[in-house]
Amino acid sequence: MIFREVEDPDLIAKARRGDVEAYNLLVSRWEKRVYNYLLRLVSNREDALDVSQDVFLKAYQSLPKLDDPARFSGWLFRIAHNEAFSLLRRKRPETELAGEPRPADLNPRLLPMELSLAVETALGRLSADQREAVLLKVYQGFKFDEMAEILECPVSTVKSRLYTALDLLKTSLAPMHKETAR
Amino acid sequence: MSCNTPESKPDWKAYVLRELNPDAYREAEAHLATCSICHEEVATLRLTLDTLSTLREEEMPRRIAFVSDKVFEPRWWQRVFSPSFAAGLLVAGAIVVHGSMRPGQAQVDAAVTKALSQVEARHTQEMQVMFEQLDIRDRQVRNYYVTNAALIRH
Repeated sequence: MIFREVEDPDLIAKARRGDVEAYNLLVSRWEKRVYNYLLRLVSNREDALDVSQDVFLKAYQSLPKLDDPARFSGWLFRIAHNEAFSLLRRKRPETELAGEPRPADLNPRLLPMELSLAVETALGRLSADQREAVLLKVYQGFKFDEMAEILECPVSTVKSRLYTALDLLKTSLAPMHKETAR
Repeated sequence: MSCNTPESKPDWKAYVLRELNPDAYREAEAHLATCSICHEEVATLRLTLDTLSTLREEEMPRRIAFVSDKVFEPRWWQRVFSPSFAAGLLVAGAIVVHGSMRPGQAQVDAAVTKALSQVEARHTQEMQVMFEQLDIRDRQVRNYYVTNAALIRH
C-alpha cells in the first residue's frame, strides 16, 4: 500500500486558505487522469490539454463551493465533463455527439500498441455519452452512483449507456479477444 | 444447467464491474457455477474488459502550469502572512540588523583614536600631578637648607 504523507482533503483545506503549493500538489496528483479522460472524450491532444488547464483553473476558483472534500474526485470529473461537452458542443453544434469511426482497421494479429490503437478505435465508434460512461467506469473506477452525480443523470441512465457501450465493444473487439487471451 | 428466461439471469455486467451487493454477488456465483451459457457470457465480458485495459494511458505533453500563473499567485498580504515568507523575512531582517550593528573599519579606527587620546590625557594628568608634587618637595628641601644656613650664620 502506498502511504501518502498528505491526503487530498488536507491539500484542499490548505488550497482554500490560499496555499498555491498545496493546490499544485493536488494538480500533480490528478492531472494525468483528467487529461487521459478528456483525451478519450475530445480525441485531440491539444484540446485535451487546454481543457485540462481550464478544469484545474475552474476547480481552484470553485474550491470554496466544494461541500465535502472527500468527494473531490467526482467533483473534479464533473467539472471536466462539463468543460469537455461544452467544447464538443462548440465544435459540433448541430450534430449528435457521436464518436466518429477511426480509419484504423482491426488486425487479427496485433502487437500491444496496435491492440491499444484498436481499443481506441472501438471507443471512438461509441457515442460521446457511451464512451464517457466507459471511461468513468472502466478507466477511472467510479461507482454507478458517483457516475450519476458526475453526469447529473439517474443511475438507470448511467447503466443503460454503459451496458449498451459494453455490448457494442464486445462485438467490435471480438476479433482481438484471441490476441488478448493469448 | 442453462437459463433461458432473462428475468432469472443475474446482472452479469454489474457482476464483472463489481457493482453487485454481497448477497447478489453470492447468488450470481452460485448461478455461474451451474450455468454454461452464463459462464460463457461472463467470460466474454471479462475478455472485453481485459482488452479495454490494454489502452495505454498517455503521458501529458506538458504539465499543467500553475506555479507561474498570475491568477494563482497569492496577494501581497497572503505572502506577508504566510509562515514560510514571514520566517524568511525574519531571517533576512536579522541579517540586516546584525550587519548594521557590526562596526566598520572607520568605526574601529575612531574608537582606537578615542581610547588612545583618553590614555594620553590620563598620563598627562598623572605627570602634571607628579611634577606638582616634585615642585612642592623641591620647595620644601630648599626652605630646609635656607633655614639651616640662617641658623648656622647666627
